[in-house]
Amino acid sequence: MRIVLDRPRCEGHGLCEEAAPRLMHLDDEGVLVLDREEVGEADAATADAAVRVCPVAALRLV
Amino acid sequence: MTTPPVSDVDLFADEVVLDPYPVYAKLRELGSVVRLPRNGVYALTRYDAVRGALADWESFSSASIGFNPAVNEALTGTSLASDPPVHTRLRATLTENLSPRALRGLKGRIEAKADALVAELAARGSFEAIDALARAFPLEVVADLIGFTGHARENMLRWGQAAMQVIGPMNRRTVESLPIAGELYGWCSEVTAADLAEGSVGRAIFDAEARGDIPPRTAGHIIHQYLGAGVDTTMAAIGNVVALLGAHPDQLALVREDPALVPAAFNEVLRYWAPVHAWGRRATRDVVVDGAVVPAGAQIAVLFGAGNRDPRHYADPDSFLVGRNPADHLSFGYGPHGCAGQGLARLEAHAVIGALARHVERLVVGPEVRVPGNITRSIERLPVLEVIPV
Repeated sequence: MRIVLDRPRCEGHGLCEEAAPRLMHLDDEGVLVLDREEVGEADAATADAAVRVCPVAALRLV
Repeated sequence: MTTPPVSDVDLFADEVVLDPYPVYAKLRELGSVVRLPRNGVYALTRYDAVRGALADWESFSSASIGFNPAVNEALTGTSLASDPPVHTRLRATLTENLSPRALRGLKGRIEAKADALVAELAARGSFEAIDALARAFPLEVVADLIGFTGHARENMLRWGQAAMQVIGPMNRRTVESLPIAGELYGWCSEVTAADLAEGSVGRAIFDAEARGDIPPRTAGHIIHQYLGAGVDTTMAAIGNVVALLGAHPDQLALVREDPALVPAAFNEVLRYWAPVHAWGRRATRDVVVDGAVVPAGAQIAVLFGAGNRDPRHYADPDSFLVGRNPADHLSFGYGPHGCAGQGLARLEAHAVIGALARHVERLVVGPEVRVPGNITRSIERLPVLEVIPV
């Protein structure tokens, strides 16, 4: 599966980074960087947690 | 498919707004959506129904976020009350100076302020937590940030409270608050850059308007939303922080032992006591919620606090447990209209919780005093009878 970011919606709240620090991080400017977009079974639960906690629904899994 | 169950509950009765949790439990057991004829609304009660509706702006329009026509009329054209695609542009303007990105530089200053204030209160040995902390701190932070001075600074508290109150139905509380909300509206329609402190975010918004980055006469609208939406709710949340950490010394001890739990503690405070009781939407079509049909045009009441205590989503929902870190709580809403000021609210509340954990071993709190309110559920007075210092 793949993590998709709706960039205009992202406001940099950073809750996804706390939930999935190995998959994404906020850079020095506070802009979200997806370190891995394609995720396998091993990371599915973590990716799902990151998607769930985004307060503005800017992330989804496809 | 079925018709939603019906309840004779009055969501805005004094006894309900003072302690809505027994009513939330009753409604939640009836169904995910319950029709309340006394309020003319369909209430969303269970976690999945609340979150689902907040995400689905196409079925649940924000054109009717308030529970009386006058307030919905007054809010027309704001990001709060609009739907995409118009909303997307208005929201971007509103959050440009309010997103965590924009606020990063403020963190140290807000933490230092909270630390100094909490240290001073703790040294007194006893204090009244609402005026001295829950109100004083956000008022100072927001006034400094937006640049409120003089007349506006003096009126922030009553203006902010009234702006939330009038979102309720046209009951006595709304009627009494309308003139005060009108004062805020009037001030915001006449405010100019010169009325706001130099270097403030308020000034920056007027600069953006002068440059043509945002449409003419929108700066006042934005200032109105910062004050109307951001003051009363944050004060409620910080009052709840003190009350809940005071009432649950074992939970404060957990945060003291592991300060990394500060964000989790704030999430749990917000989950446990939602600062906002009810918020409106309008069904744009017949919508099926958990098997029941909500008819097109229906006024919806989103009950964040009911969803936050749904045992289908949170185990042991009526216990206050910071370790559960309920980051997906509903108290900031969710989705395109998720609280635009939540980044600032987190900065403020994390700073206060962190300062309490550093300076206080335990707080002995007296009984809290509450006053009925239509929308914001907050504590009016909270005596801290004794501070057991670190």
